[in-house]
Amino acid sequence: MDYYLSLISFGPHGWGRPFLEGAFVTLSLAVATLPFGLTLGLAIALMQRSHRRFARGFATVYTTVFRGAPELLTLYIIYFGLSLGVQSALKSLGFSTQFDMPPFLAGMIALGLVLAAFSSEVWVGALNAIPRGQREAAAALGLHRAQAFRLIVFPQIMRIALPGLGNNWMVLLKETSLVSVITLPDIMFYAMRANVVTKEPFLMFGVASLIYLAFSIISAVGFGVLEARSNRGHAMHGAAR
Amino acid sequence: MRTFFRLAVIATGVAVGAIGAHAQQKEWKEIRIGTEGAYPPFNNLNARKELEGFEIDYMNALCDKMKVKCTWVVQDWDGIIPALLAGKYDVIVAGMNATDERKKRVDFTTVYTRTPIAVIAAKSVASADFSPAALKGKAIGTQGSTIHANYLEKYYKDSTIRLYPTQEEANLDLENGRLDYVVADKMSLDDFLNNKGKDCCKEVGLIERDPAIHGPGTAMAVRKEDTALRDMISKAIEESLKDGSFEKVRVKWFKFAIM
Repeated sequence: MDYYLSLISFGPHGWGRPFLEGAFVTLSLAVATLPFGLTLGLAIALMQRSHRRFARGFATVYTTVFRGAPELLTLYIIYFGLSLGVQSALKSLGFSTQFDMPPFLAGMIALGLVLAAFSSEVWVGALNAIPRGQREAAAALGLHRAQAFRLIVFPQIMRIALPGLGNNWMVLLKETSLVSVITLPDIMFYAMRANVVTKEPFLMFGVASLIYLAFSIISAVGFGVLEARSNRGHAMHGAAR
Repeated sequence: MRTFFRLAVIATGVAVGAIGAHAQQKEWKEIRIGTEGAYPPFNNLNARKELEGFEIDYMNALCDKMKVKCTWVVQDWDGIIPALLAGKYDVIVAGMNATDERKKRVDFTTVYTRTPIAVIAAKSVASADFSPAALKGKAIGTQGSTIHANYLEKYYKDSTIRLYPTQEEANLDLENGRLDYVVADKMSLDDFLNNKGKDCCKEVGLIERDPAIHGPGTAMAVRKEDTALRDMISKAIEESLKDGSFEKVRVKWFKFAIM
């Protein structure tokens, strides 16, 4: 038992510190991706409901592509493909510069693009739940469309979208486990290396899954609080207490 | 798609600006080295997050010899060649065999190790015969995208071939009884047989190298256009084999000859 504890301790041969740093990378990547992915998702959702045919078409193609393509492939395309593409573009323009896509940025973009595709469906559902009459009423009050969206629509769709977005967040947290293929030292990166050195796969992958589990539990509690807050003043079905 | 493209161009433009374009030098003063960091005793990351292993010590010795500054990048095996081509580092030092298939995409330096290839199985396996006929219907495992995977797929068509992201996972499945045999470099398998696999498994025999599949041995990979770098490293390898600096590192990590 002491032997196993020493392997995951913070001592000289313990993998505690690498795991901690991996957890930090995982968490910071997920947190950095979230605003980018959700904002893009909302934009896609608005395009999905647009009157312009081009915007609708773009949104449909976008969600089809990024929900359909495996995340790993998206990651490869952004990290390797984009680097190669920009490099050859620069070369053909006569620049002899070396372009390097930072792995963190690549991970953020790739995971953000996928998150946008999935969250856009949640946003569309929430937008559809707001009656048309509200926008008309806002227009009648002299509010500009952007004002109507910001002041009337957005606060309401946040409440409706929150549970779905919470789901998206959980999926995002777990998808970050792919980024070790682009040299980002996340939890899985260290779990794999720790396993190779210590030959204790159950211990090391067990620790990794416990860290993910802890993140999920904390997130679930956090989203519970947010949902309770956003539901203030709303009668909940079956909650006759 | 156009909006996305534009966004991507802006994002990458920002990245270029942020990093600062370092111009491609004709003369190599700095080399960035890509390795897997998950292949003991050749290269692995330890609990202090330092790289260690034969290849790490050996390459660092070569760097001293070439009087260049070397930095290491740890990249998963999947994507280790794409990352080289995308310019994430300049040379791969990761126990990579110089196969014809890989030569289509990268150039290799002089060979620096030639490792025996071993077959291991559960201790209960009595027969030392591991010919394709004897292993018909058996499950054989190894790491994917390796020469061993290619070898098995070519010669062991009637067996079930299982490919894993790392060699450790194949070894683990042999221990679990999900595999009947595992094929890989003898050195990496010895590491397993001397530690975790002490009680479960044993070596059945060695596979004779098939030059068409296994290639001439382990070499370092560079981008095809970096011929100057390739020649510079090749020269340093050849010198190290003659002046004893290779042997000095070898005896630290291996009890037997690896070249």
